Amino acid sequence: MLNTITTSRRGFMQLSATSAAALTLGASVAGLTGCSKVPTANGYKVLRPGDIEILRAVAPVILSGSYPGSLAADGEAVLLRSLDKVVLTLQDYARSQLVMLFDALQVAPIRALMGAPWTAWSDMQPADIEAFLQDWKTSRIQLKRMGYASLCKLVTMCWYSQPSTFAFSGYPGMPQRIPASDPV
Amino acid sequence: MQNHSPRQPHIPMVAGIKDPIRDGIRSGWNVRASTSMADGTVLEADVIIIGTGAGGGTTAEILANAGLKVLMLEEGPLKSSDDFRMDEREAYRDLYQESAGRMSKDGAMSILQGRCVGGTTVINWTSSFRTPEPTLQHWASEFGVQGMSKDEMAPWFEKMEQRLNVAPWQVPANPNNAVLSRGATSLGIDWKVIPRNVSACWNLGYCGTGCPTNAKQSMLVTTIPAALQQGSELVYSARAERLIMEGRKVLGVEITALNDDYQPSGSRLVAKAPHVIMACGAINGPALLLRSKAPDPHKRIGKRTFFHPTTFCFAEFDELIDPYYGAPQSIYSDHFQWQSVDGPVGYKLEVPPLQPGLTSVLLLGHGHQHFSDIQKLPNLHAMIALLRDGFHPQSEGGSIELAGDGTPIIDYVINDYLWDGVRRSWLSMAEIQFAAGAKAVRASHVDSPWFTSWEEAKAGINALEFRSNAFTAGSAHCMGGLTMGEDQTRCLVDSNGKYHHLDNLYVFDGSVFPTSIGANPQLSIYGMACKQANKLLETLKA
Repeated sequence: MLNTITTSRRGFMQLSATSAAALTLGASVAGLTGCSKVPTANGYKVLRPGDIEILRAVAPVILSGSYPGSLAADGEAVLLRSLDKVVLTLQDYARSQLVMLFDALQVAPIRALMGAPWTAWSDMQPADIEAFLQDWKTSRIQLKRMGYASLCKLVTMCWYSQPSTFAFSGYPGMPQRIPASDPV
Repeated sequence: MQNHSPRQPHIPMVAGIKDPIRDGIRSGWNVRASTSMADGTVLEADVIIIGTGAGGGTTAEILANAGLKVLMLEEGPLKSSDDFRMDEREAYRDLYQESAGRMSKDGAMSILQGRCVGGTTVINWTSSFRTPEPTLQHWASEFGVQGMSKDEMAPWFEKMEQRLNVAPWQVPANPNNAVLSRGATSLGIDWKVIPRNVSACWNLGYCGTGCPTNAKQSMLVTTIPAALQQGSELVYSARAERLIMEGRKVLGVEITALNDDYQPSGSRLVAKAPHVIMACGAINGPALLLRSKAPDPHKRIGKRTFFHPTTFCFAEFDELIDPYYGAPQSIYSDHFQWQSVDGPVGYKLEVPPLQPGLTSVLLLGHGHQHFSDIQKLPNLHAMIALLRDGFHPQSEGGSIELAGDGTPIIDYVINDYLWDGVRRSWLSMAEIQFAAGAKAVRASHVDSPWFTSWEEAKAGINALEFRSNAFTAGSAHCMGGLTMGEDQTRCLVDSNGKYHHLDNLYVFDGSVFPTSIGANPQLSIYGMACKQANKLLETLKA
């Protein structure tokens, strides 16, 4: 789980002991304060209101000019519902890792210890979020890099597989499929 | 910022395709969802096969043709050509483990693995290679594997190649694959055309989302229908939870029924048979044995798990590549593969299809840079290098552990030995891409910019830092975990696929490979399962 922090396999991968400890501690504290017991948001199978607040804030920064695109006001719902479906099918380990990541990002003091702004997600400026993502992307701490990659992969996969975003990728789309037989 | 106005390329309409599975079910095949049965239902058969991928499908047909009552169990759903709409969203959710989001424990490797009736054969890219001779020799000399020399395996490969219509692709490579042949030719690097298991292929490019024309000769449209035609039974959405054992015998399988969300429905079933064959792959197979607390005196279950860790290098071209269309894999190069069997890691070069969802993940990153990269898609080419892991003392593979609820955790670490191969593979790919006329090349590493010349790429790639989770490592090939061989201190199944420590349990799939294959593994699994299933029949008749 979160305490399995990869120790340095190479000289230059030395961890900052303090930040690594903060991150591990962060997840435990978040767990103790009951973050992970929060019920899911209305209409969602896995995502909780706090997770949605984080995703709402980071999605426009991760997806840049493609978001919300022609979907306008619906873009957010399309993305969040798609994310919810994917997270639901993750097995225990991957899902629990993700839940702990969201837990840790939800509690302001822990978030701040991990290099993200203290401000509530809904009040953060895109520049703050960009700085946070850059920090995690290049961090010496494996767990932060893993968090960065997981967030980006989930969000981009769910977004760019939506037909309404094909105009941005220039993907002309898949061949049209007309089934021959009636449903069983 | 580029602006791609909608183009109207020639995209065929896929219509008039009959769905052989729906037709078969109408004709009375014995096919049921686990959730359609009452809690506690007991199923009986002569043989239970767990998993319906390359190993399970091949085995089912052989045993059913010999008159055995075969029960096939599949964790995933039953989907067939009428469901295959070439839509990434549906395909990943319905046909892949964890919606294509399966990852190693440290999150550094993404694993694409099938989870549906037909297993990974439904979603693979059809590349069909015989097990390379150096691999077979290595297994014989290092693990005491018997009866699997090149000559001894040849008839089994030939049989399965005929069964699944394997032949080198006759149509010109799509522009994405042509980059590899063109670049390699100009550098004097050898390359070949990939043999594919297709019949009347439309050259669409959607092997990875389930073949909509039934051209791909996956287990779903070949061996499984043949077994069902012989009266076999198929129960899907049925996860093998635990083997029921008594002494040295497996009595049956405890099954968890899965609902439409792929979550346990609350119902349990039991299957009983005198013989049980596991064909549930290199991740779920070891997990099943660990959950079952199967005898394992030397603690070998789930060890030596291999993945062909795969690196990605992107290239931008002036001309259109349309990398999402056309047979996804048709050209390969083994130039860097066998320079030393057990020295620095060798790699096979191939090309992946680039549908936009998957591509956005492989490009890695966020924000303006990522947005600008994804906008290049129509002019984008990617090359992949599959690292041949498991042949060197510093490549002992990963291990399978269990999470709290008994599901698998895949502990696999890219170490210094593999990183050396990662870097060399980026250099090989970048050089070939520039030789093929690329205007810019980028290794799939978060620190990599777009390089505009080979000289610049060479220096830039050599300077990239080794940080896990900072570069794309993928895998579409799960192998090992239940090592085959005659030395019981290191191996779990014998050369016939029988589990050393149980009398009636067999493993016929890629989990028995003592190393990675060094080539896309489907034909290795078909050939070996074909040989082992026939051997089992002989034993049963004796």
